[in-house]
Amino acid sequence: MKKFLPPLIPLVVITLALEWMVRSAFVPGYLVPAPSAVIRALFDSRDELSAAMAKTSAAAVIGFALSTFTGVAIAVLLSSSRAIQRSFYPYAVFFQTVPIIAIAPLLVIWFGYGMKTVIASAFIVSIFPVIANTLTGLLSTDPALRDLFRLYGASAGVTLVKLRFPAALPQILTGLRVASGLAVIGAIVGEFIGGQGLGSVVDVARTQQRVDKVFAAVLLASLLGLALFGVINLISALTLRRWHASEQAS
Amino acid sequence: MNRRTFLGASAALLAACTRTAKIRLALNWKPDPQFGGFYAASYEGHGLGVEILPGGAGTPTVQMIGAGSAEFGIVSADELVVARSRGNDVVALFAVFQNCPQGIMAHASRHLESIGDVLKEGTLAIQRGLPYARILEKKYGFDHVKVVPSPGGDISAFLRDEKFAQQCFVMSEPLQAKHAGVDVKVFPVADIGYNPYTTVLATSGAQLKNDPDRAKTMVAAVRDGWQAYLNDPAPTNAKMHDLNPSMDAAAFAEVAGAQKPFIETAELGSMTADRWTTLIGQLAELGDIPRAMPAQDCFRNL
Repeated sequence: MKKFLPPLIPLVVITLALEWMVRSAFVPGYLVPAPSAVIRALFDSRDELSAAMAKTSAAAVIGFALSTFTGVAIAVLLSSSRAIQRSFYPYAVFFQTVPIIAIAPLLVIWFGYGMKTVIASAFIVSIFPVIANTLTGLLSTDPALRDLFRLYGASAGVTLVKLRFPAALPQILTGLRVASGLAVIGAIVGEFIGGQGLGSVVDVARTQQRVDKVFAAVLLASLLGLALFGVINLISALTLRRWHASEQAS
Repeated sequence: MNRRTFLGASAALLAACTRTAKIRLALNWKPDPQFGGFYAASYEGHGLGVEILPGGAGTPTVQMIGAGSAEFGIVSADELVVARSRGNDVVALFAVFQNCPQGIMAHASRHLESIGDVLKEGTLAIQRGLPYARILEKKYGFDHVKVVPSPGGDISAFLRDEKFAQQCFVMSEPLQAKHAGVDVKVFPVADIGYNPYTTVLATSGAQLKNDPDRAKTMVAAVRDGWQAYLNDPAPTNAKMHDLNPSMDAAAFAEVAGAQKPFIETAELGSMTADRWTTLIGQLAELGDIPRAMPAQDCFRNL
């Protein structure tokens, strides 16, 4: 309970304040929906919203998993030599700057309408923080420990698996935390164009001026982001507990 | 300058400021011929200072009017009725398109006879939340056609796939397709009996109440502007082409010509209660609004 109380207080206060502002006609309901209206929309459209949520979750999780594996693999490759890093790292930055909205229509042409486009969008948006953080982690291994491994004649493979990768875990997990939220955003943007899931619900509700339903879908999207974030935190706690300061406090 | 003349001068200055205070007109798309008359209008000639705010896909003009971030805006009639049912007091003043210029375009090579045939196979790109999309769904069902989001004005998917149909502005995308060498057949949405006024100048009930004269002057300026644009669109097209260079000059001229029959009427921009009543009935039946409302509240012929 002690753990949940601090985040609950702002939630209750903000919700009540919003409700009061709309009910007292301080802000009109067609601009900001009352929290009660959002909850009603969640309830009234529960079938549609849960089906949409399932699709968006699947696409975001698959896109996120793809960017985790590909991102870590690319970072390992980049960290293997200065020359490779110099030649290819600038192109990795491309993924961070690509305006997904602008290229999304092209994704439809490449992958067709539906799931594949949505996954591709989630992947593109979320891969860069994985590459960047993993690379930083792999390149900042304690030199003394590296020398020790070299002294004992450990191969590059063994050094990677036993030393550099575990030592980079805190940074990798930071990258994954950032990427998890981005994957949800990427999935929803992909759905605007690819046509399914929560993105599609938002698009339709917006056309119908259903602000309450838009917010209901947005709420579900943030729950999805929160869930992914929670999973990464759990992994972080399990893997870092024994040695890293960030998971040891109190 | 003594104190009295100073006060007098200040008051006059203040009055002049409020008189020529900028009025914002929010568009729901980039400058193009559907807004020709708004760009052709001589607002200064009518004593108004108007700033036109171009929009893009999904610019919420109807909410902007309600929120007061624009004094006037371009909306469609159905949008306005739905907004009113949600407590957003927006009133239509001038309907540019007397007949709805929206339609579904399909490849002519499919030899389709009616809008119902379009829904028998292939893909249809349409904005699902739009009332006519749901009327289509109700009437024919979407079981045999794959429905995907509308790509806006982009026709590349259409060109690549013979079984692809998409929502369009009757005088816009079909011309683009023809230029790209594809023969198209267009089914106007009005064919299924859904014909809301489109590209409608609207303002808020509060604005109308506070300064009815200004709204009247605005409508007069806009009406003159549209008359001028219908007579000779070339100078305004050049101006709009500068603002929106991605649409080429020839397309401006072509669309301006094609849209004429949708706009021309005895008194430009005027609306009838009958048309609004029909629309309100259709929206109530669809469930977009909880109950019918008086047509007179929705519009004003100034």
